[in-house]
Amino acid sequence: MKHKHPFKKSLSRQFAVLMAGFLAFFIAGSSLLLFFQSYLNSRFNADRDKLVYLEKRSVEINRAFNKAFFDVRGYLALDNESLLQSAQAQEAIIHNLSRQVKQAALTSEDNSMAHSIDDFSVYYFKETLPKVVKDVNLGRKDLVKKLAASTSTAKVNSFQNSLDQYQKNVNNRLDNRVKDLMASQRNLQVVFIIFMVIVLLAVYLILRIMFKSAGRPLAFLAESANEIAAGREAELSVVNREDEIGALSAAFKKMVLSLQDKEKDLLAQNEELSAQQDELHAQQDELQHTLDILRQNEMNLNRRNQLIHQISNSLDKEEVLRSIVKSMCQLISADKGIITLLDSSEYASFGVSDRGVSQFRENIYNGLNDRLLSSREIYTIKREQEPAEKGFHDEIFYIYDLYLPVISSENTVMAIMVFSRFGSPFLQEQRAEFTALAKQIGLSLEKINIYEKSEKDRRLNQDIIDSVQEGIQLLDQKGNIVQINRQLAERFFPKTEQEGLLWEKWTELFEAEVEDFPGFLAFLQNSLKCENQGENEGNSFTYRVKDNSQVIKVYCENVFHNRMKVGTVLVHRDITREFEIDKMKSEFVSTVSHELRTPLASVLGFTELLLNRTLKPERQKKYLTTIYQEAERLTSLINDFLDVQRMESGSQTYEMKYTEIDPILMKVIEHQKIGISSMIDIVLELDSVKKHAVFCDPGKIEQVFTNLLSNAVKYSPNGGRITVSVHQDLKKLVIEVKDEGLGIPEEAIDKLFQKFYRIDNSDRRKIGGTGLGLAIVNEIVKAHRGEISVESEYGRGSLFRVSLPLAAGESDTGEDGTHIESAKETIQVMLIEDDKSLAELLREELLQKGMNVRSFTNGEAALSALREHIPDAIVLDIMLEKGSIDGWTFMKTLKKNSAYTDIPIFVSSALEEKEKGISHGAKDYLIKPYKLSQLSSTIMKSLEENGTRGLIHIPEN
Amino acid sequence: MKRILLAEDEEVLRMLIVDALEDSDFLIDEAADGGEALRLFKINEYDLVILDYMMPVYSGLEVIEKIRKEFRNDKTKIMMLSAKSQQYEQERILEAGANYFMAKPFSPLKLIEKIEEIADEA
Repeated sequence: MKHKHPFKKSLSRQFAVLMAGFLAFFIAGSSLLLFFQSYLNSRFNADRDKLVYLEKRSVEINRAFNKAFFDVRGYLALDNESLLQSAQAQEAIIHNLSRQVKQAALTSEDNSMAHSIDDFSVYYFKETLPKVVKDVNLGRKDLVKKLAASTSTAKVNSFQNSLDQYQKNVNNRLDNRVKDLMASQRNLQVVFIIFMVIVLLAVYLILRIMFKSAGRPLAFLAESANEIAAGREAELSVVNREDEIGALSAAFKKMVLSLQDKEKDLLAQNEELSAQQDELHAQQDELQHTLDILRQNEMNLNRRNQLIHQISNSLDKEEVLRSIVKSMCQLISADKGIITLLDSSEYASFGVSDRGVSQFRENIYNGLNDRLLSSREIYTIKREQEPAEKGFHDEIFYIYDLYLPVISSENTVMAIMVFSRFGSPFLQEQRAEFTALAKQIGLSLEKINIYEKSEKDRRLNQDIIDSVQEGIQLLDQKGNIVQINRQLAERFFPKTEQEGLLWEKWTELFEAEVEDFPGFLAFLQNSLKCENQGENEGNSFTYRVKDNSQVIKVYCENVFHNRMKVGTVLVHRDITREFEIDKMKSEFVSTVSHELRTPLASVLGFTELLLNRTLKPERQKKYLTTIYQEAERLTSLINDFLDVQRMESGSQTYEMKYTEIDPILMKVIEHQKIGISSMIDIVLELDSVKKHAVFCDPGKIEQVFTNLLSNAVKYSPNGGRITVSVHQDLKKLVIEVKDEGLGIPEEAIDKLFQKFYRIDNSDRRKIGGTGLGLAIVNEIVKAHRGEISVESEYGRGSLFRVSLPLAAGESDTGEDGTHIESAKETIQVMLIEDDKSLAELLREELLQKGMNVRSFTNGEAALSALREHIPDAIVLDIMLEKGSIDGWTFMKTLKKNSAYTDIPIFVSSALEEKEKGISHGAKDYLIKPYKLSQLSSTIMKSLEENGTRGLIHIPEN
Repeated sequence: MKRILLAEDEEVLRMLIVDALEDSDFLIDEAADGGEALRLFKINEYDLVILDYMMPVYSGLEVIEKIRKEFRNDKTKIMMLSAKSQQYEQERILEAGANYFMAKPFSPLKLIEKIEEIADEA
């Protein structure tokens, strides 16, 4: 059944209508009430205002009348015109006020009051007062009093009473008004309360209707929805309505139905999905497993790679062993391990105590390793944990030891590896893997061995070429440096990277150092092209170093390997010394040849003239004299050359003797005096009567002074005095030869003692000479450990000063010349030598040199002899006869006793241990075989240096 | 009469040469060193200069160089006497501008011969 009523179709419309009705009612009611109240109020206010106004006017009127009465009385009493006027003025005021009252009149009372005021006013001011005034003016006060007593006073009083009455009435009316207002307001409040009750009722009714039509069906729907959502059956009786709720419940029912359908579908799908999921899970597990295996393999591979990387990355054996042990332990999850090489003492361990290591290595060829060495195969052992390995566990665990040999390429065991793993055994396939790893390790170790060997060889080679004096460099085909030795590197490439220097680079470095670089470069280029070979002339190149003018000869050799040229070796040899010696030699030869050819030219020339020409006898004699002199000059030149040659080569022997200088000087002076010009006077000055003895070769010393004196004579062409003086200066004997001749130019003084130096001066050229005299003097003086110096003033003469070491002790002797001989005999030498024939030879030599010799073949015997007599020197062999202490012990014993420490010991031995000998306190060490004269001269020199104590205190016989 | 400048530091050798040439018709000036030789050379005009190699002040070689290069004189003949008789020394001397070379010791007769030959050429 259908209701066509539009309200039934829409809940909101119903609600809107209800609310509209309610609101209309509420607004109408409340506005009515409000309007009514405000109307009451406004009416009250208006009445009140008018009443108050009327009251005020009536009061004012009253006052005005009173004033008028008062003034009139005053006028009457005082007859004051101004008071009369003032009273008359009150009439207008009162009239005005009465008009106001009329205007504001509310009731008839008011109007009548107003009229009575007007009437009274008229009566009083228009009737009574003029009469009074007239009477007063006429002086008829009595009339006035009469008037007053008759009517006017009564009228005035009644008026005043009615006015008072009116005032009271107005007041009463005001009170009534207030009471009326209060009453009507009370009524209004009652009406309001009733209205509010009606409103509340209406609200209640509306709410009730709304709940009925919307709330309940919604709650029912909500409950049903909850039920359905919770999966329970719910009755969904469709609310038979046409409004929103009806639509909602219909839609809801439809939805529920469709939801139920969908749910069924979903359930079916869900089942299918869960089946699929199960399948996926299974697949995933499988994949995970595969992944685990892959990961495991990857880790193994990584570790293996790491192992291989680490062992192939380094060539340091120790480091490689350490990384092998560590990586292997990781690789096979071992807890500890060790690797030890069999051919050397190297090893590395991981997690093994030092004691364990040394125990293992001590028994390397015993026990379990034995099996490994013979079988050369991997094996494992299962054993119970040792107590030390258990930690805090008290259960029994097993340990698996893996013995793994490292096999070399020659199929021998080169190293043993042992690893321990707690808990898990080694599987068969793992063993195969480990064996493969061991092979890898073997290869690496072999590689290191090869490297070490080649490195050692390389170092040896480098050490060898470094120890060579020559600079050596090996170049490759392009000229880059492959190898260089220290000498060359230090000379030319002090700070740069030396090996691997490119051709351009190192030749550039040479360019800065080498004079004639283009020639050097050309030589290098030819060398690289195989055009130079060997050290022959032309295949080598000589260059000079710019800084120190070293002369370097470089030659090249090509290096072949299997008949292939692999490089070029350049050898740089420092030939500075040879070069200089060579230069000196050729200069010497050239000078000598020049010096010899000049007198020879004279000899030959004049001889030729003599032979080919007819000459006068004087001329003949002159030529012959010249020839003779030149031949003599030639002789002395040759002698001087030979002397210089001997002295320079060191082959000049000096016959050293204790010699007095004075007689030699006298002799030389006498010789020089023969045939010199009478202008020259030679004087010998001696500082005392003492005899001046030196240890020297008298012949050579004579030569020294002969040369010096003859120079002095030669260079004094204009005569003068030549003074030879002798004096002692500390431990030196100083002999001075002073002339007053030509003198020496300052610049020449330094070169004076050089060979063949002659001052470039034509005066001097006339003087002649070999240019060797002073060089010889210098050599001889030096050989006597003396000094020579020159002072000269050019043109005023020269002074040559020779100082020679004084022979100590000579001044004490005071003997004649024979004392020199006796002094020589006093040197006491103890000779300890087990070889009798050699001892005899040495003895002969020393005796010849004037020494006293006591021979011993036995060390102890010599020691006991020392107690009786202390010699000046001991000549000691190291290897002495059987049963004797040796020379070392002898020296030690001597050095312990302070009485013997000063005796100089000269070791004469075939043992080449000079340093040891000197450190043991030997004065000198002669290695057999040596020249016999060497021994005596060594002893002499040494004694002389030490002040020759033997000469001082040894009395003989 | 040809004029000769003889520079030689050895007095004996100067005497030998002068004496050897005494029969020939030459005017000979003697100098004892290179400096003196150059001084004389500047003053006088010579047909032949005989120089010793090793002399003080200026060596024979230096004197030749000065004559040839400094004085721009190519005309005057120069003979060098030297004890340095090696081939390369000779070459050096001739290169420097000497016309003749005679090694010491020399034969005075051959020297005269040579000098007369040179004088005739001039």
